[in-house]
Amino acid sequence: MNDENATPAAETLEEFKNSFSYGSRSDLTFKFLKSLTDDDAGEFFRQLLWQVGHSLDDGDISPIHQLVFEWQRRGYEGSGRNHAYDDAPFTPLAKPVAESRVGVLTSSGHFAEGDDPKPFGVENMTQAEAEERIGEFLRDTPEFSAIPTDLEPTDLRVRHGGYDVRSVSHDREVAFPLSILQSLEADGVIGELSSPMYSFTGATSQGRLRKQAIPGWVEQLQSDAIDVLLLVPV
Amino acid sequence: MCHVSVGHVARAFESAGIPTVSVFVRAFKHVAEVMRLPRTLITQHPMGRPLGASGDRDRQRRVISSALELLENAPSGATVVELDEPWRAGNVAR
Repeated sequence: MNDENATPAAETLEEFKNSFSYGSRSDLTFKFLKSLTDDDAGEFFRQLLWQVGHSLDDGDISPIHQLVFEWQRRGYEGSGRNHAYDDAPFTPLAKPVAESRVGVLTSSGHFAEGDDPKPFGVENMTQAEAEERIGEFLRDTPEFSAIPTDLEPTDLRVRHGGYDVRSVSHDREVAFPLSILQSLEADGVIGELSSPMYSFTGATSQGRLRKQAIPGWVEQLQSDAIDVLLLVPV
Repeated sequence: MCHVSVGHVARAFESAGIPTVSVFVRAFKHVAEVMRLPRTLITQHPMGRPLGASGDRDRQRRVISSALELLENAPSGATVVELDEPWRAGNVAR
């Protein structure tokens, strides 16, 4: 055997699919490909290319968006099913939303300039590094970032290794609805928007989140005197 | 995992006496169901864009308003309501 002259092994379909999930072709909008069977992945690409061809003629790309949406749904069908519960906690509202102080917590990974949660002690970690270190995030305790509602819009930062942040980078309201809630407050739809709003990186250890993080977050938001809480996962 | 994380947050706050509503994208509707979250609004949006496309203030506002209505109107826990407006693109320059 002469390994130096050996033909490189052809990439398998399995390896190709996996490469979109934190591999050589990492793309957080398409990391779901890893979860599709080979047959389904083939069918996804067939339909995608067919729709691309169609759009060359009619210019309509919304069927492509719909296709991606539908296959993303299929890709995530099996996720999170090991976190099943029997009971359904429920607290009735004490007063109408129009009289309530509304707290907000998102898992979008937003934070204020100058208040970097410094994952693993790293300040100004790039989005690329957050994606490379996703495995470490999934074993760690999440940090809770407080974001004052009067923060200069240009001082809001976002970093999250678990999802495609392009959209929220263009427009925070995609996942961090500060202006929308301020406008709903002005219109009397909500009583008051509580400041600060809060955010964390939702790609995290579930055990550490539950035991080490959430109890303190509940205490913090109770001391903020919120009446209700709006949650936005990303 | 983000949706599971927020699911745990929702269950904890609700159990501590603070009513919650969560906005989930359709791909994770089953997570809201198996975790039996208090109140969940489902949007037909792709992952990473839960409230609507960048710049689509009308859609984003409608999603938040619908979530607030659900907060007020849900009769019991494990209430899941689905908005059926399909995804529409935003207006971002590349």
